[in-house]
Amino acid sequence: MKIFRNPDAMWREEDRFREQAYSGLDKGEDVSDTGTSIVLYSGKMFSFNLLGTEIWKLCDGKSVEDIVSELRESFEVEEEALRKDVNAFLESLKKEGLIYEK
Amino acid sequence: MKNDFIPSAPLTINWAVTNRCNFRCKHCYSRVDVAEELDFEVLCTVIKKMSAAKVFSVNFGGGEPLLKKDIPGLTKFAVDLGLAVSMNSNGFLITKDMALRLKQAGFGKVGISIDSPKHEVHDRFRGVKGSHGRALAALGYLKEAGIVTSISSVICKINIDDIDGLIEMARSAGVSNINFHNFKCSGLGFANKDVLDLSPEEWHDFYTRAIALKETVEDLQISLEDPIIALFGHKNGPSLVKGSVCGKLSLNIKSNGDITPCGFIPIVIGNICRDDLLEIWNNSPVLNMMRNKVPKGKCLSCESYTECLGGCTARTLALTGDMNNPDPHCWKK
Repeated sequence: MKIFRNPDAMWREEDRFREQAYSGLDKGEDVSDTGTSIVLYSGKMFSFNLLGTEIWKLCDGKSVEDIVSELRESFEVEEEALRKDVNAFLESLKKEGLIYEK
Repeated sequence: MKNDFIPSAPLTINWAVTNRCNFRCKHCYSRVDVAEELDFEVLCTVIKKMSAAKVFSVNFGGGEPLLKKDIPGLTKFAVDLGLAVSMNSNGFLITKDMALRLKQAGFGKVGISIDSPKHEVHDRFRGVKGSHGRALAALGYLKEAGIVTSISSVICKINIDDIDGLIEMARSAGVSNINFHNFKCSGLGFANKDVLDLSPEEWHDFYTRAIALKETVEDLQISLEDPIIALFGHKNGPSLVKGSVCGKLSLNIKSNGDITPCGFIPIVIGNICRDDLLEIWNNSPVLNMMRNKVPKGKCLSCESYTECLGGCTARTLALTGDMNNPDPHCWKK
């Protein structure tokens, strides 16, 4: 099953906040509350943190396993914990109509 | 009070492409504004600037935007550059053919102003006989053409007792959304405020009713964009900022290219033809003040301030001369 972003959702990365988040990561800070992208869909506005944004960007026809595998190259996280986070995030995106599976 | 999140560029730009209008509304804020307009080539350059700044969407207004030559052409240009385009119109010029042209140009959404379910009340308020019927017909043509429609109603003395009627009208017109706009004291709205604006207690009662309807009406989205609804612990929808969104998520461009924080704040902070959009967005002292309001008066001891941030900045500035003062519509003692 491949995952795709809803083409009606408008989104962009926020460069300034992404730089802040990476700089925080380098210093060992918790950056999970730093939004690095904005998504607008159906009158609702969402902000995703660094990991959320990276997952969102990978929703371009990849499977969950592809997404987890690609993320492991950038984030030093234990695979099972990452898979759990990815699945939970994708579930929340699906609930808001932001992604679909094919 | 500082907002946690100010995006790197506006999400939306409201653009009064012309101040010309075929209506004579009693609350108009643009009829007395500048007459100068930009030509098509300059408009396209402005669109390119918006696209380069990663602005999501542009909303044409005015005046009546359809009096501006080649709005469909400008829309197509913007859509081809990835912008979502919408418009607020009085609907008078939207025929079946125009609706199809707007659809072909790429309009995603069009909002039509209708202030009363009673045609005689709307026509008198808008100053043109037959305007109510034409507005409803426009909604039908737009829907037929496949464009998402909404109704915009300015809440004031003429319709405060007819909120249920407005909702029924919106339902029967098949729109997806009705926007209840709070009355702004700008332009003629300021001159006519004593006969049109509601008292703080009336605003309290209106929002009590409107929020109850918003939570119970299922087949129609009801939008209340007034930051003072935070006094009820209510938000209009998920938003990344608190208080007014103007200058935090959106900007306004006037017909001559002047940039203001919103259509109801007459402070020019730059010009889109001359200046760098992101430089203004990130460094304007006026925007900085709007994003970092300092509570005054009753706001100092109000537990809701952290949510409403003093209410509508435009209204407060227009009526008190100081954006940090409490919103004059606030009913809290």
